[in-house]
Amino acid sequence: MSVQPDPESDRAREGSSDATPGGLPEFRRPGELAFAVFLALASAGLLFSAHDIAGFRALSSPGAIPMATTAAMLVTALLVLWKTARQPKTGDETLRIAVFPASVIAMAVLLIGYALLLKPLGFLPTSALFLFIAIKLLSGRSIVFTGVVTLASVIGIWLIFRIVFTVLMPAGIVPEAEIIQIFRDLFNGGA
Amino acid sequence: MSALMDFLTVFTQPQLLLLVGLGTFAGVYVGAIPGLSVTMAVSILISFTFAWDVYPAISLMIGIYMGGVYGGSRTAILLNIPGAPSAIATALDGYPMAQKGEAGTAIGVTTVMSFFGGFIGILVLAAAAPAVSGFALRFQPRDYMLLAVLGILLVGSLSSGSLLKGIFAGAFGIAIGSVGMDPLTFTPRFTFDQPMLRGGINFIAVMIGMFGVSEVLLQLHHVNTPAVRQKISRIVPSFGTIKRYLPLSLQTSFIGVIIGALPGTGGDIAALMSYDHAKRITKNPETPFGEGAMEGLVAPESANNAAVGGAFIPMMTLGIPGDAVTAIMIGALFIHGLNPGPMLMIDHPDMFWFIVGALVTANFFMLIFGLTGIRLFVKIVEIPRAVLIPLIMLLSIVGAYAVNNSITDVYWMLGFGVFGYFMRLYGYPLGPVILGVILSRLLDDNWRRAIISEREDLGRFFSGIFHSPLSTVLLLAVVLIFVSQTPLWRLIRRRKA
Amino acid sequence: MRTIVFGAMTALAFGATAVSAQDYPSREIQGIIQWGAGGSTDTVMRSVTPHAEEVLGGTVVMQNMTGAVGAIALNYVADAEADGYTVLMGAENPMLYRTMGLGERDYSEFVPINLLARGTPILVAGPDAPYSTYAELMAYIAEHPGEVRFGSTGPGGLPSVITAMMQSVEGELDVIFVPYDGDGPALTALQGGAIDVMPAVLGAAIENIRAGTMKPLAIFDTERNERLPDVATAVEGNEGYSTYLPWGPFFGVFVHEGTPDEAVTALTAAYAQAAEAEDFRALMDTRGFTMMNISGDEAREFLAAWQSTTAWLMQEAGLAVNNPADLGIPRPGE
Repeated sequence: MSVQPDPESDRAREGSSDATPGGLPEFRRPGELAFAVFLALASAGLLFSAHDIAGFRALSSPGAIPMATTAAMLVTALLVLWKTARQPKTGDETLRIAVFPASVIAMAVLLIGYALLLKPLGFLPTSALFLFIAIKLLSGRSIVFTGVVTLASVIGIWLIFRIVFTVLMPAGIVPEAEIIQIFRDLFNGGA
Repeated sequence: MSALMDFLTVFTQPQLLLLVGLGTFAGVYVGAIPGLSVTMAVSILISFTFAWDVYPAISLMIGIYMGGVYGGSRTAILLNIPGAPSAIATALDGYPMAQKGEAGTAIGVTTVMSFFGGFIGILVLAAAAPAVSGFALRFQPRDYMLLAVLGILLVGSLSSGSLLKGIFAGAFGIAIGSVGMDPLTFTPRFTFDQPMLRGGINFIAVMIGMFGVSEVLLQLHHVNTPAVRQKISRIVPSFGTIKRYLPLSLQTSFIGVIIGALPGTGGDIAALMSYDHAKRITKNPETPFGEGAMEGLVAPESANNAAVGGAFIPMMTLGIPGDAVTAIMIGALFIHGLNPGPMLMIDHPDMFWFIVGALVTANFFMLIFGLTGIRLFVKIVEIPRAVLIPLIMLLSIVGAYAVNNSITDVYWMLGFGVFGYFMRLYGYPLGPVILGVILSRLLDDNWRRAIISEREDLGRFFSGIFHSPLSTVLLLAVVLIFVSQTPLWRLIRRRKA
Repeated sequence: MRTIVFGAMTALAFGATAVSAQDYPSREIQGIIQWGAGGSTDTVMRSVTPHAEEVLGGTVVMQNMTGAVGAIALNYVADAEADGYTVLMGAENPMLYRTMGLGERDYSEFVPINLLARGTPILVAGPDAPYSTYAELMAYIAEHPGEVRFGSTGPGGLPSVITAMMQSVEGELDVIFVPYDGDGPALTALQGGAIDVMPAVLGAAIENIRAGTMKPLAIFDTERNERLPDVATAVEGNEGYSTYLPWGPFFGVFVHEGTPDEAVTALTAAYAQAAEAEDFRALMDTRGFTMMNISGDEAREFLAAWQSTTAWLMQEAGLAVNNPADLGIPRPGE
């Protein structure tokens, strides 16, 4: 028998901000148990690794605070796991809808693509591609609209970060430095 | 009356006035864009203003500094991405307000309170710099450690859901902060023999991922829900509102100045501690904390701008930077032929009063630029989600990259974004993670310094605490807050009632 | 739309290949600063580079790339194309990476464009310390074993090298070493009384010495410093130091081995001239740095000698992770 949680809005389940996280205090959401198990295992692994830093050599060893914090992680993670395991499941949610809706999966795929292409292709083409596909997918607006928004945003961000703040994004196939030099020569020549 | 003349330098020279204004304006936007920091902007300005005179160069830097500290709150309120670490606490209640359509009000209050906090900071700098810096110097490693412990106790007020999950999140944050080569002994920690982990995990990347990306991923659940219409009826807060929050603002401004003046702690810790203070002393907020409480905006924003004046205190009196930005300004003064140090106030008293004057000017410009253009800024939230979400993603990526020109940081940012998404879904608070990362070094380094200084002897360590009034007070504060916060205490009280 | 964008980009790409045949520099140069904004390496590089830009007639975009004691920046430049458009602006630390087990690479993979200046170490104490000279400090340590707190900044940093020198000359010192993550925070702690004695670079302490908030005990050099003529040298305190001194941290500009000669020549000439700029020299002088302005073989010899002295010192102090002999670093004087 599954118990129905109080009818609550999605907002409450997802929390209104970082100070008030989501979740349902009395119920277990899909995937929550697996996450709790993962955290407990990861904490155990980190505690092990913290012990490897310097063992129990001295109070002042570089491993002292990491050992204390990872131990705290393990204890709390186990307590949370125990609590979570005993909670009744929410009856109205599935993993597919509550955790991995199509839009989240799509974004994840796009982000992985971005991460893979950033270095070989360079910042400008990768970002343009990412924005174009993402906006097109999510909004379903026309190609012209999407294209204009994409171009304007990428150029805007590039101008601020690359030109004003001289942040050197991966250039990839676009010879950014040469283009900038052409403009610089143009301006210097004209002045 | 030469002090007064030096103080008025900025006001009487149109060129300097213009530079401070320009700097403040730029600062607001630099601060608002995650990944672009005031530290970065000021260090670029060092080469840029290399050939200038010292007054114009410093004017521009001070403008950027003041505007930047304030600007961080913009994106925190509108997008839940703090533009700078010192705006983390602002996101906690500011973003919920924006989601209710009250972004305009939130920014208005933030601006006025930042102005007020900034002013208090400058006042303390002008009136009591030597006394405050003398006090700040008295902080020993064990005092910094106790301060860090005090900070870690904020986990209680940052986790409104499950305290257990909050403690887990806080400990996790401290662990993240210790990844990489330990800066004191160069021992690798949690590096798993991966070269890319040696440099540690960039804190800004964690922050952007946890706050920004996790929020965006959650928003993807409701791509088609129309964006919240923003009410823009009242932006400049009424006199009544200001008067009501003035006492809180004053208190948290003083927290800001002191924490800002301590070398080794800055606006980020000041803002979080003030948030906690507000939560503790506000018995019945109109809106609960975490859901858009005005007090939750007033406190951190007063404190982080007050910390600006605070950071200048050790810089001007001792040549010791109060934070990363003042560290670069010290470099700038060197380049311009001044010798920042304890003698600066004696050799160049004009510089001190000039800086105070420039700070006051920047503070006024911040108020002006803060209150104008809000209507336009608020429109960002009204952009359809389908366009806004990909844009925030891209901005987060660029921001994470920009901090240290590292693609690894981008991967971390995305990883923490996904992790934060799950944490949000399952009721783990994210605030304590960031708190843990911020306090990790402060706690770890100073614990080790303190215990090494006492030759690894815990007995000597505690007797040291009780022999110092400062340490004793800090320890008492730690104990009091701990007892008042633990569920144990609540349980005892409930039993008695 | 997308095809148009890509078309335009390819066109630009082709257009630009034609341009890159120009003389060096045909585009902007990346300057990777090994240390954070506001540090001494940062200040030095940001004040010398504008002069070099003038000579070069190009732009050097400077970036701070911190992490792993500078190794992140070193690896970044070493992995970038050796075309003269990525320049490393660093300090002495990489010469100890192999000895201290912090990395596999050092400046031997790089061409020194210019070693700008070196710093002079100085031993300072708090103003109320019960000792005012090197000899008094040594006597005090002997009388109060395990009491004096020395500031340190991790193995391989200036304080660790100086204390290694002291232990090698004076024998084991029974003192407490309190670790800090840089000489700035440590000198702050010295003023607050959290530590008693600190080996630091002269420039970082000179203003405090002038103000009387720190007391100089000894200059770690063979000759007295003209900025502090009253402070005795370590050699005056103990003749044994003459084996190791003069020694000091340094700043330099480097490009990766294999960079075209044209670029190396242009950069070397630019920085050599920039280092002569009056305001730069004045800055270095007030910060207590000794100008070197050397390049080419002279710089290589300096680097090799520096590495040999320091690596073997760390080895003798028992701080080295890898034996310099195994790394092919000759003993000093060999």
